[in-house]
Amino acid sequence: MSATSFQIDIAETTLARARRGDLRALEQIYRTFERPAYTLALRMLGNVETAREVVHDAMLHLLERIGQFRGDAPFWGWLRQIVVNEALMKLRRERGVQFEELPDDDDTPSTDPAPWALAEARHLERALDRLPALTRSVLWLYHVEEYTHQEIAEMTGKSVSFSKSQVARGSTRLRNLLESDTPRYPQEVASCMTATAS
Amino acid sequence: MHDRDGIMNPDTERGLAAALRALPQEAPQPDLWPDLARALSQRRQPSRWRYALPAALAAGIALAVLAPRWPLEPNAAPAPGAPAVAAVTPAVPTAQKPDDSAELDVLHQRSQSLERWIAAFTANAPQDSRDLMAAVEVEDLIGLVDVQLDAARGDGDALPLWRQRVALLQDLATIRGNAFAVAANDAGATRASSQMLN
Repeated sequence: MSATSFQIDIAETTLARARRGDLRALEQIYRTFERPAYTLALRMLGNVETAREVVHDAMLHLLERIGQFRGDAPFWGWLRQIVVNEALMKLRRERGVQFEELPDDDDTPSTDPAPWALAEARHLERALDRLPALTRSVLWLYHVEEYTHQEIAEMTGKSVSFSKSQVARGSTRLRNLLESDTPRYPQEVASCMTATAS
Repeated sequence: MHDRDGIMNPDTERGLAAALRALPQEAPQPDLWPDLARALSQRRQPSRWRYALPAALAAGIALAVLAPRWPLEPNAAPAPGAPAVAAVTPAVPTAQKPDDSAELDVLHQRSQSLERWIAAFTANAPQDSRDLMAAVEVEDLIGLVDVQLDAARGDGDALPLWRQRVALLQDLATIRGNAFAVAANDAGATRASSQMLN
């Protein structure tokens, strides 16, 4: 599986046409990255309207300046960075300089089997939505986009240890939310069904 | 991405990453492309300042070449009350080839000097709307170069971008310097006419 869904190469001929202002080439580029960009923004922000605004602004920023793109860095990396920056700016503007963070008491490691292996997508999405925005963003940037703690610290203006603690606390909170939201074992499902039937 | 120092059990960490990546991708609804296409088409239409920018650059060329060397020593502070320039010189990449490091150092210092000079002029010169729009456009381009610098993997990538950054700052200095010269001429003309009237 690709490390990040953003890792898509654009043909040089498409880029050349886009640099000349060919609207069809620009649309082709937009369509290629529409889903990865929106998914990243949505996971970070947790709000469909704000995520849509972020993708609109990031894409406009990118497509207007595509003539300036030199091609010495991966195109997808450039776009992804713009989306992350726009999303972080949006979080700062909406929540002030201080981000909501998870408290210290939320990073107790558990020895139970990880519930996300069995959780349905909608349960995992619901649990993600219940995390504070910055915690969710750090978790996503680290696990899915594979940014390092150092890179996350630079982007968020926080420390490396902050990034590490948010990943740890976010994972623990996610585990707790999933365990309280979904039946943990098939036997529990069976007993619930039996109880309901009787 | 490298230096990923995980803090959870590696299996648990991989399991969470896999579960998050397996979540379905989303697309913005309604489709963003019609808005983007309209905005791109509108912004590509020629406007007055697009013609004014080359004129401003030509008129202020002497200031661009001479002035940044004149008013500020390398460590001089901006004028009191000077606002920060939109672009801030990024850190030079630490992993550099010996051949390129000297030029990178020079470009970095030049970049900082230009930023201080621009900040000083911005504080002293009123900007008309035409110059202001041209300056905003150049500042956006500097922002683009900074994004590409963030993605640069070594001095081979960084060096041409630093050259481009300094060239853009010189353009910005020209616009600011030109506005300052016009303002100074206007002030001189006002004083002269006052003396004639008296």
